Amino acid sequence: MRSIFKFFSSLKLTVCLLSFSMALIFFGTLDQVHYGIWHTQKLYFESFVAIWSYPQQWPAFDQLYWLRLPLPGGYLLGGLLFINLIAAHVTRFKFSLKKSGIFLVHLGLILLLVSELLTDLSSKDSQMSVDEGSRSNYSQSYRSNELVFIDRSQPDHDQVYSIPAQLLEPGKTVQLPDSPLRVRTVQYFANAEVGRASAPSNSPADQGVALKMNVIASPIAVSYADDAINTATAYVEVLSPQGSLGTWLVSNVIDDRFPPQMVRLGSQSWEIALRFQRYYYPFEIELIDFKHDKYPGTEIPFNYSSQVMAHHQDRTKNQAALIYMNHPLRYQGLTFYQASFANKDTTSIFQVVRNPGWLLPYISVLLMGLGMSVQFAMHFFKFLRKRT
Amino acid sequence: MAALIIGYGLIPTKYATEFNIQHFAELPVQVGGRIKPLDSVARNTLLILSARQKVVTRDGQTLPPILWFMDLTMRPELADSYPIFKIEFPDDLGLPNLAQAGERYYSFNDLKPHFEALLTARSNINPEPRQRSAYEQQVADLNQGLSLYHRIMHSLHPVGGSDRLDRLSDEYQSYLTLATGKGMAELRKQQAGQEYDSKLLDSFIFFADDYLKLSQLAQLDVIPPPPPVAPMADWKNVGLELLDVMKGQALSPYVTGYATLTMAYRANDAVRFNQDLASLRQRFIADFPNELGRVRFEQLFNELQVFSVSMQLYVLIFLIVCISWLRWPQELGKAAYWILIAAFALHTFGLLARMYIQGRPPVTNLYSSAVFVGWGAVLLGVFIEKFYRNGIGAAMAALVGFSTLIIAHHLAMSGDTLEMMRAVLDSNFWLATHVIIITFGYSAMFLAGALALIFALMGLFKREFDKETARSLSGMVYGITCFAALFSLVGTILGGIWADQSWGRFWGWDPKENGALMIVVMAAIFLHARWGGICQERGLMALALCGNIVTAWSWFGTNLLGVGLHSYGFTDSGFLWMIGFAASQLFCIGLVSLPWKFWRSSFGQAKQLKAS
Repeated sequence: MRSIFKFFSSLKLTVCLLSFSMALIFFGTLDQVHYGIWHTQKLYFESFVAIWSYPQQWPAFDQLYWLRLPLPGGYLLGGLLFINLIAAHVTRFKFSLKKSGIFLVHLGLILLLVSELLTDLSSKDSQMSVDEGSRSNYSQSYRSNELVFIDRSQPDHDQVYSIPAQLLEPGKTVQLPDSPLRVRTVQYFANAEVGRASAPSNSPADQGVALKMNVIASPIAVSYADDAINTATAYVEVLSPQGSLGTWLVSNVIDDRFPPQMVRLGSQSWEIALRFQRYYYPFEIELIDFKHDKYPGTEIPFNYSSQVMAHHQDRTKNQAALIYMNHPLRYQGLTFYQASFANKDTTSIFQVVRNPGWLLPYISVLLMGLGMSVQFAMHFFKFLRKRT
Repeated sequence: MAALIIGYGLIPTKYATEFNIQHFAELPVQVGGRIKPLDSVARNTLLILSARQKVVTRDGQTLPPILWFMDLTMRPELADSYPIFKIEFPDDLGLPNLAQAGERYYSFNDLKPHFEALLTARSNINPEPRQRSAYEQQVADLNQGLSLYHRIMHSLHPVGGSDRLDRLSDEYQSYLTLATGKGMAELRKQQAGQEYDSKLLDSFIFFADDYLKLSQLAQLDVIPPPPPVAPMADWKNVGLELLDVMKGQALSPYVTGYATLTMAYRANDAVRFNQDLASLRQRFIADFPNELGRVRFEQLFNELQVFSVSMQLYVLIFLIVCISWLRWPQELGKAAYWILIAAFALHTFGLLARMYIQGRPPVTNLYSSAVFVGWGAVLLGVFIEKFYRNGIGAAMAALVGFSTLIIAHHLAMSGDTLEMMRAVLDSNFWLATHVIIITFGYSAMFLAGALALIFALMGLFKREFDKETARSLSGMVYGITCFAALFSLVGTILGGIWADQSWGRFWGWDPKENGALMIVVMAAIFLHARWGGICQERGLMALALCGNIVTAWSWFGTNLLGVGLHSYGFTDSGFLWMIGFAASQLFCIGLVSLPWKFWRSSFGQAKQLKAS
């Protein structure tokens, strides 16, 4: 038992884990050339094991294509470092003023590791696009998709039934809550080419856009480039107590440019669509003005700013703000950043982030900076005293 | 000797001619969002085309950049014969009769017969710049260079040969009469089917067409708006200003000013030239009362070439210290220390000057980061030398200072190093904190690595390297690495906070962030290995040398990767330097790991005895 404790609290383990971390970060960075930043994060840093393979672009690929390097992943290394740090403090460290700096640094480090884990697990990123003069009450993901049925029968509100795309497994059936409908997924493609067929084809769909405009979809490889949009597409069959109502082709590229695809059962009807997952909010963001200022005589931007007004359902929470680079709006537990723009500077696009742990890194840097300064200052003054 | 270097480098040029070149060099132009002297444009253009700041004509004359610029814009037929296009491997271009043995610089006239072939070659290369081969890169650069040359040439006046350029004033005069009513009147008459003066109309249409093309061609915005001038107002180029006369605007006196300057220069009339120049200059001072000082200072700074002088001084310091280890240690040691202070002062002046000209904290792009890394290392070296007084601090500081200034010099080849900051980077607070702190961290890591290198060399080859020197050197490396750890850690986390304020996430695992994290982890490995007694001196020195590789990767290697573009940057010229540097450091690690019996120093011999 004691030897296990000794192992987990040893400095040799620390150095070993730190060296593995260096290797992981290095090979992960190299692999970002292929997988883009987001996917590499999932493979290398949010996993327990990562495997690096010899890249095709490197010399001698024909001889070394088989080379694979297994590495401990981010969660494994982070977890072990965490245990190592706690164990070391519990067994070996005695609190003394002389070592106070180191304690602070390690405390800050623990806080940072915890905050990063929290962020991985709980933060949500999405984008909100608003035109000048209009408002928006939702933001949408650019990676996750949802299958929606929209009931527009009520005059003052729409009822939206949403099924996350992860549940659309071929062959499986999902029951729509509070409704007579069930959805059976015929096929699902994470990325597809959707277009008009030149000749009649045997498409599984027999309703909607696929039928009327002869649109078909064929799967293609998922793109990992950082700004790539994957065209999630599916063939879904809608079932009712009376039997099948038909099969539709839905895709996040079949959006409001197309006539809505309708599912009808008796006197009820729903609009069916596959779209980027939306997060609805109890407030609307209105874009009053978007400014895109450039340095004189150049195209180099020096300022992007959006004058916005947040209209909350609860009037007391209304707020006006100016969002610009390095200056986001923090409102209702969300943070709005100036991300991009479109339509000749008349549409502003915000990055909307929900990250409950956003303050933790700030505290961590204070602790670590303070700790290190204290520790090294003590060393430095000791050094000065020795030399005089 | 140091005085010689400083004196030679810092004396401003005196031009042996009656033309007031100095004032011409100080004429303003708006480029990249700020007002610069023409001198800066001349130097930057020459850097892009020739990779150096001088022109050597075929008959052996050396021209400073501003004289070349004057010939380019005002005597183009002469400028076309100057060899200024640098082509490293002319044979590779596959153009018959172009390459001349031993010649690396070619003139516009040399290239003229090959224009079509060059254009065709350009259309065939890879559209993605990061994935081009060396040949494709050369073709792209040459095409871009020729285009730039053409556009700068026609920045002060319309396109034309000597018959046009010698009569610019008359041309503008007749244009003015046409543009302010007469031309439009003839056009309306023609459209109404009435009798019109076809010669007048043709002349008018010719001007309109030609000036429209000029407005799209002229590279430099030399025409400021009429007073009162707003600081953020766009300046215009000559073509646009001439076109706007048709909208009812008065023709800016700068246009006519540059025309008379051109004519005077071509006629070799120094008196008229200087008169016209003086009136242009007075107008600039009147319109922009606050700018003249900064523009003049920038021109002076261009000439002083402080970083070049510092570089030479660093080499001198290194040599002096090396000699001081053999003879006259006291005198040479002191000399080295004071020259180091002088070089540091110059280096600091350069940094401050750049800050003044740009209105920004010192590190804004890769070039300025190189300059700052050197400055930081020399600062630390000065402190080490003050404490230890054994020349090691001075020598290693000089080494790092010199190397980084050479790197900076090569980075300056893309042209303007005082460019404006893009919106997301446009935050003086974060530029002053995160960027400076992290760059300082780089300085410290490199200095620690350099000290480890000297430890290895002295330990292996110098007999007098004893236990005490080894201990103090080891202490230096430890101290500097502590410093590096602190600054790298705080700098990296500040970067995360900046990202959180800017993009919504504290840490995104992107290559630059990963590189910075690797430096922090490397420093942590060093410190923990030392504290745990896992490594002794040799191991620690090896780790410090590893730190050099990691820092170089973080600073430059991450820039080579084309993330998401499937490009590892193998074709980038920096790639070979990175591999070379890494190999050299690995070699040094090999040196430091040699068994004790190879260590000639008394320190090494003592270790050998203890081991056996």
